[in-house]
Amino acid sequence: MSTNQDTNIDVAEGVDHQVAMVMDLNKCIGCQTCTIACKDLWTEGGGRDYMYWNNVETKPGEGYPRGWEESGGGWTDDGSERVAGEIPSREEYGRPWEFNHSEIMYEGSDEPLRPRDGAEWGPNWDEDEGAGEYPNSYYFYLPRICNHCTHPSCVEACPRQALYKREEDGIVLVDQERCRGYRYCVEGCPYKKVFYNTVSKKSEKCIFCYPRLEGEGPDGETYAPACAEECPPQLRLVGFLDDEDGPIYKLVEEYEVALPLHPEFRTQPNVYYIPPYAPGQHTEEGETVDVDRIPRGYLRDLFGDGVDEALDTIERERQRARQGADSELMELLQHKNPAKQYRLGVFDDDD
Amino acid sequence: MTEERTRALVTALVVGGLVLTSTVALASPLVDARPAHEIPVTERADADLGSPTADGWSSVPAADVSLSSAPSSVPNAADTSVDRVHVQAARSDGDFYVRLQWTDPSRNVSADGTRAFVDAAAVQFPTDTSSRPPIAMGGTDNRVNVWYWSGDVGPQELRAGGAGTTTPFASTAISANATYEDGTWTVVYSRSVTAEGDGRTDLGSTDTLDVAFAVWDGSNGERSGQKAVSEWHYFLTGTGPQGPPYQTLLWTVAGVAIVGVVAVTAFGILRAREGGAD
Repeated sequence: MSTNQDTNIDVAEGVDHQVAMVMDLNKCIGCQTCTIACKDLWTEGGGRDYMYWNNVETKPGEGYPRGWEESGGGWTDDGSERVAGEIPSREEYGRPWEFNHSEIMYEGSDEPLRPRDGAEWGPNWDEDEGAGEYPNSYYFYLPRICNHCTHPSCVEACPRQALYKREEDGIVLVDQERCRGYRYCVEGCPYKKVFYNTVSKKSEKCIFCYPRLEGEGPDGETYAPACAEECPPQLRLVGFLDDEDGPIYKLVEEYEVALPLHPEFRTQPNVYYIPPYAPGQHTEEGETVDVDRIPRGYLRDLFGDGVDEALDTIERERQRARQGADSELMELLQHKNPAKQYRLGVFDDDD
Repeated sequence: MTEERTRALVTALVVGGLVLTSTVALASPLVDARPAHEIPVTERADADLGSPTADGWSSVPAADVSLSSAPSSVPNAADTSVDRVHVQAARSDGDFYVRLQWTDPSRNVSADGTRAFVDAAAVQFPTDTSSRPPIAMGGTDNRVNVWYWSGDVGPQELRAGGAGTTTPFASTAISANATYEDGTWTVVYSRSVTAEGDGRTDLGSTDTLDVAFAVWDGSNGERSGQKAVSEWHYFLTGTGPQGPPYQTLLWTVAGVAIVGVVAVTAFGILRAREGGAD
């Protein structure tokens, strides 16, 4: 690890700047547009069918792949040693289902269109299930991509150094020339965001849409990753963690309201989340009471102990804004100016 | 006259005995007495050895090579399931053949599943045959040339200069054929002895070619450094029913010398006796 001398931000050794993303979970409507934007661009076929580099899962829930939070990987508490992990099975990722199309379309069956046998699990299977009981049930959506970690256990797990962090922006990539399909990265990533291509027999993962960042599209313009740009409620901010003038630095480092997912995995993720708010619990009579609907302990499990202070800070700043005072934090969380939401070219002139 | 006769008889017996000993020494194959790490390479003209089940292999001497888990930093490196590989080697019509056989109760030839790994085997040579590289994939200054076969992609020729540096050749010079029967894999590798290329072992450069072996059991999740490996062995070229050529040469020289010494001694005795008679 090295510290960027200009910003005092820890970036990985040998990395100049670190791309980062903030996702505001209060804005996610679970529409999966990000999932499809990513899939259309990168994982449509050729052994990638089962992969979702970007997925949106309902929390509480088992997620994608099923039970990933208990699948091992990452680092021990002091960050010195890797924790053993497992490779998810195809069932845990979800197999494509067979439907009764031919019976209905060609054989005159009047059964409803439905999967044949074996539809027992799939990505987003437990959508909107959540937890709790009426009238105090709860759930929220959690969009997930590769965290492009500062201390990536997938990179460390590869005995061939096929995975690496790009020097210029810390994006974690798999060198397809070096990869021999051993899958130590798949088991080593505690977020299960490295995938094995069953046709090419090599591992693949989210590339933070680096060709878009580099203006490799037909119009030569720079774009944020597709999952961010295509998001209907525009819940994602994209930039560099060490860009002190950018919203990500302010949300993560100054206000400390954007938190990494499962910081106890010790990989130092560079995707951060504004934790979800929910109305207080209701009594049988429908009155709102001052009890958290989403148990605070559950949010701590997901986002670490910083979640209490983060939610307090947001609550305090909301009150200020309600009372007519200026709140930079509220503006950051509401801002629609694309120049601030996506700040990607700030270090282009560095050399 | 009686003394004379006795002397002549003793001389004849000694000479005959020595000649017989020399002849026996020349003819004995000595294969059974070879050193533990030696694997004979049999010369065969016009033999069809490319198929794992070819008849020609039945008369090629074999060596049983012990395998143990390779020292490696990958998870579960100590958990390997194959502990022995049966090795045969032959040269025929300018090709070098290596045949490996090992038992594996399950045949794993597809890596189509997220958790599926394939059975595989490898033969490792020093790129430069004049010195032994580090056993684990060679070293930076002392590289290795690996003949790799796996159940899903077949033969691959690799080069490496230390763990984690394995790189496939742009075009392979080896071929491999494999069969799986009754819980046993049989793989035959072959390569032209004269095949040249950067990083490619010159098989004709030495009569004692260092070689090591590795086997992976796919059903046990074995891949990369999780593998069963041998120590360095060596292929001894020129071995066969007559034994290696230098051995024959040595025994011939020794035999001729012994016969010569006996003849000169007998001649000397006879002359001394004749001189004494004068």
